[in-house]
Amino acid sequence: MTDAPLEGELLSPAPRAPETAVAAPPGAFRRRALAAGQHLLGGGSTVAAVVPLFALLGMLAILFSEALPAIRYNGWGFFSSNAWVPGNTYAGSVRTGGVLHPLGAHYGAAALITGTIESSVIALVVGLPIAVGAAILLVERLPRRLAAGIGLCLELLAGVPSAVIGLWGVLSFGPWLAHHLYPALSHIPLGIFRGGYNSAGQGLLAGGLVLAAMIIPIIAATTRDLLRQVPDVTKEGALALGMTETEAFFAVQARWVRVGVIGAAVLGLGRALGETIAIALVSGSAIQYAGNIFSAMTTIAATMVSQLDAAQADPSGLEVKALAECALVLLVITLVVNIVARMLTRRAARGAALPVGAGF
Amino acid sequence: MQLSNPAGRRLLGRSLSAALVGTLACSALSTAAFAGTAKVTEAHKVPTAAQLKKSLTALEAAPSGSVKLSETGSSLFYPLFSVWAQRYPHSNVSIQTASTGSGTGQSGALAGTASIGASDAYLPAGDPSTLLNVPIVVSAQQINYNVPGVKGHIKLNASVINSMYTGAITNWDDPAVKKLNPGLQIPPTPVVPIHRSDGSGDTFLFSSYLAAGDPGSFVASTGPNTTVNWPDVSSALAEKGNTGMLQTCAVTHGCIAYIGVSYLRNAIASGLGYAAVENGKHNYELPGKGSIAAEIASYKNIPANGTISLIDSPKAAAGYPIVNFEYAIVQQHQPDPATAKAIVALLAWGMDSKGGAAPGFLLPINFQPLPANAEAVAINQLKSIS
Amino acid sequence: MTTTTAGITPPAIQHDKPIARARRVRNGAWWAGCTLALLLVVAPVVWILEGVVEHAVAGWKWDVLWTTSTGIGGGLANAIVGTFVIMIGVALVAGSLGIGAGIYLVEFSHPGIVQTVLRSATEILAGVPSIVFGYCGYLALVIGLHWGFSLLPAVIVLSLLVTPYVSKSTELALGQVPVANREGGEALGMRKTYVLRRVVFRAALPGILTGLIIALAISAGETAPLIYTAGFSNLYPSGALIHSQVGYLTYAAYAFYDEPSATAQALSRDASLLLVLLVLALILSARLAVRVTQRFSPNRSASRPRRGRRRGAVDGAAAVR
Repeated sequence: MTDAPLEGELLSPAPRAPETAVAAPPGAFRRRALAAGQHLLGGGSTVAAVVPLFALLGMLAILFSEALPAIRYNGWGFFSSNAWVPGNTYAGSVRTGGVLHPLGAHYGAAALITGTIESSVIALVVGLPIAVGAAILLVERLPRRLAAGIGLCLELLAGVPSAVIGLWGVLSFGPWLAHHLYPALSHIPLGIFRGGYNSAGQGLLAGGLVLAAMIIPIIAATTRDLLRQVPDVTKEGALALGMTETEAFFAVQARWVRVGVIGAAVLGLGRALGETIAIALVSGSAIQYAGNIFSAMTTIAATMVSQLDAAQADPSGLEVKALAECALVLLVITLVVNIVARMLTRRAARGAALPVGAGF
Repeated sequence: MQLSNPAGRRLLGRSLSAALVGTLACSALSTAAFAGTAKVTEAHKVPTAAQLKKSLTALEAAPSGSVKLSETGSSLFYPLFSVWAQRYPHSNVSIQTASTGSGTGQSGALAGTASIGASDAYLPAGDPSTLLNVPIVVSAQQINYNVPGVKGHIKLNASVINSMYTGAITNWDDPAVKKLNPGLQIPPTPVVPIHRSDGSGDTFLFSSYLAAGDPGSFVASTGPNTTVNWPDVSSALAEKGNTGMLQTCAVTHGCIAYIGVSYLRNAIASGLGYAAVENGKHNYELPGKGSIAAEIASYKNIPANGTISLIDSPKAAAGYPIVNFEYAIVQQHQPDPATAKAIVALLAWGMDSKGGAAPGFLLPINFQPLPANAEAVAINQLKSIS
Repeated sequence: MTTTTAGITPPAIQHDKPIARARRVRNGAWWAGCTLALLLVVAPVVWILEGVVEHAVAGWKWDVLWTTSTGIGGGLANAIVGTFVIMIGVALVAGSLGIGAGIYLVEFSHPGIVQTVLRSATEILAGVPSIVFGYCGYLALVIGLHWGFSLLPAVIVLSLLVTPYVSKSTELALGQVPVANREGGEALGMRKTYVLRRVVFRAALPGILTGLIIALAISAGETAPLIYTAGFSNLYPSGALIHSQVGYLTYAAYAFYDEPSATAQALSRDASLLLVLLVLALILSARLAVRVTQRFSPNRSASRPRRGRRRGAVDGAAAVR
């Protein structure tokens, strides 16, 4: 066995003798510089990794400090009332409980929160099956080139700016819905389909469908990548046993990709919850509870982007703070969704019969 | 009275002097009365056109050196300001413009992120008195509707419009509408009230008109604002921007919407009708160059701080009631004299009917130049900027 | 049982038993459902693209590309340049932050509470709505630090918005490089940075580049954060980082649509088309980048995506049925 001083020497800087006047061995500076480079990479990447955490905490802090007066003023009524009343901003501001506000100001986000949840749920309920079904077909049945082309379509849909999708929703999709889909749906004898619709097509269903169009690419692309990673051997084994392709899918691939699809669905849900411009344009922007699936409503993000300008005309600043409170609520909802998803995936991963991603 | 004898002449002299004293007293009293009613602190004499022209030209002198100004705010004022930014004769002053909304214009000017804030609404009382709202041009708003089968213009007044937005009137052939329009055939169409989803000076103007014309309107308690608490009407819709209002109204039968007058041509081209609106003298007027000018001319008392509300407007017999002033929100104290001079020069040029307020600029968007009394107030405000 | 093949009649294959038919019907229904799903996915894309192209090409003028906007007309040159400048800034900032974070999480950190917290923070940040980013940036940078509407707040806000995507892609890409490669390098006596640079990065480069280009595409398409940090300008970007507003294409698409002049609305449609073309260019360049960098990666089998369906296997199964 040779001794291995060489290894140690190259991996870590040679310990320098402190004061002796021995001439430094050649390359010592280079070695030290390279070692410093390694520390720099380590330190720099640590800093970079910590930045998202600080950004998140920073945003929470900024929003909380901005929203505090509004939180004190609105109290719990913020979650039960659906009135968004800036009050009489021209009559001068008064102080109640230490908070400066215009006369008659009253902010309640109940309709916003319900609207956000309802539109995101519709988006997920519509978008998840479509995305997963399309991904399955993409991976299983389509020839390579066609699959690549449709993959390109998916990426394009994911990349199109939400302003462009929103304008499409207002100009083409909404009127088409009002002329073709809504009349057919209003014949269904369920309560949510009764009550009529407007001919511009804007409302909860239009918003949910536009959001579905925006989250489908995320879920479909992730599912496609996950399906591609399922080893062919397992699927071939199921087919060799005489299962139809459908049965093989449910027996083998579904269990492999289940966890990942849940993760992708949560990612899509997060996008739907936070979508701003597209939903602001097609939702009808009415601060009210949606009476039926066609009626106009609004979401937290859409209200923020619509009202931010008007809020700045309030000299007491309360409306801006109320919007910051809305942003805080949205952040908390996003956090809760993420944590729940994490718990779901951990349980699903534990419960899966097959070791996910164990590799072959 | 005989003037031949001295007694008669003395009588004439005394009666004349009495009449003179009486007239002076009356005019003094009425001036005091005028001064008492409006929040005017200055002499109430309107300068002549020549004097205005002279002061304006003096203010239009641009600084030497290059200055960068930024403007943000009202989307209604934006097209005009952008054209001004292109065609301003002094190339050493560069102007950036952005269309963000009246509220952002006000807060941007207050926070200093913009040199000039454009706003369709005047400043609330809570803002510091060193933030000026300087009227620059005159704008108006029409009430559009989409009721196919109507020949002519539907007459509407504030209480009918208010009832449509609160849901009290749900159909266009309601008796209240028919009462205002005897002899006009209006087919039964359900009413779809459309309002702005984003906070806007148009909403401010619309709610001002409702508040002025109908004491029982839904904005009575909170007053006019750039965003109001719209009543819960199941068929109501909210749209973003004037174009959003226009396009949705164009595809929705029975809609009623309030849209800025710069979009009048687009509205007509989209097949929308525009209403003859009841003014302060209970006449029904269509928005047009003459009717808007008549209404503006009737604004006799312009407060020194430029805050002119439609609610306090006097009545003009042939005036179109829904008019407003477009304001430039500016800080009275600017960070450096060159910026102050540049701002004053730009705004003065904008008010000048040979400069930015020339018909070539204003006609395409149906705006009007300021009347003389408002111009005088604006000039005084500009003079105080340093 | 005899072993000779002659004289043995194989049992008759049972076709068309009821249970087999039901399974076949279910199979067919499933595939029909998936085909419908695929059509429903492709239809909106085609619809949107067709609408965008049709509206923009109708009044297309080539001088849109080199004229600046005037607020009511003109062209989009300043918005195009502004978008590119913002993208370059985001590539630099989000690229370094995201790649650095990915490197730390894979190479330097140990599994434990710190790693979990950092990774979770990144994933949660990915879900925060862009309007919240924009508003916080407005409060903290534009107003708080008195930078005004300008390039630097916009770049910082957008970078924070997209860093999770870059970080996640980097993590995945680095994670796919087999540990054996790193161990081999270490066994040869290489420094950690040397191993990373010459071995791991080369292999992970396709994934990292893809993540970076996705981030650029997202940042090019954002509107709400930019309205509150960059403002807008009808002039070319002046090069100043603060106190100077910048134009960008999404503003043209979103705000010009609201102008009363037909020329401005035409510009809004042109901006939509340019944005779609930009996204297409970014996607294609991502694919090109992957193909080019795959050539350098020593570990080709890990970098190549697994193949999809293999025909041979399923045909064999079909023969049994």
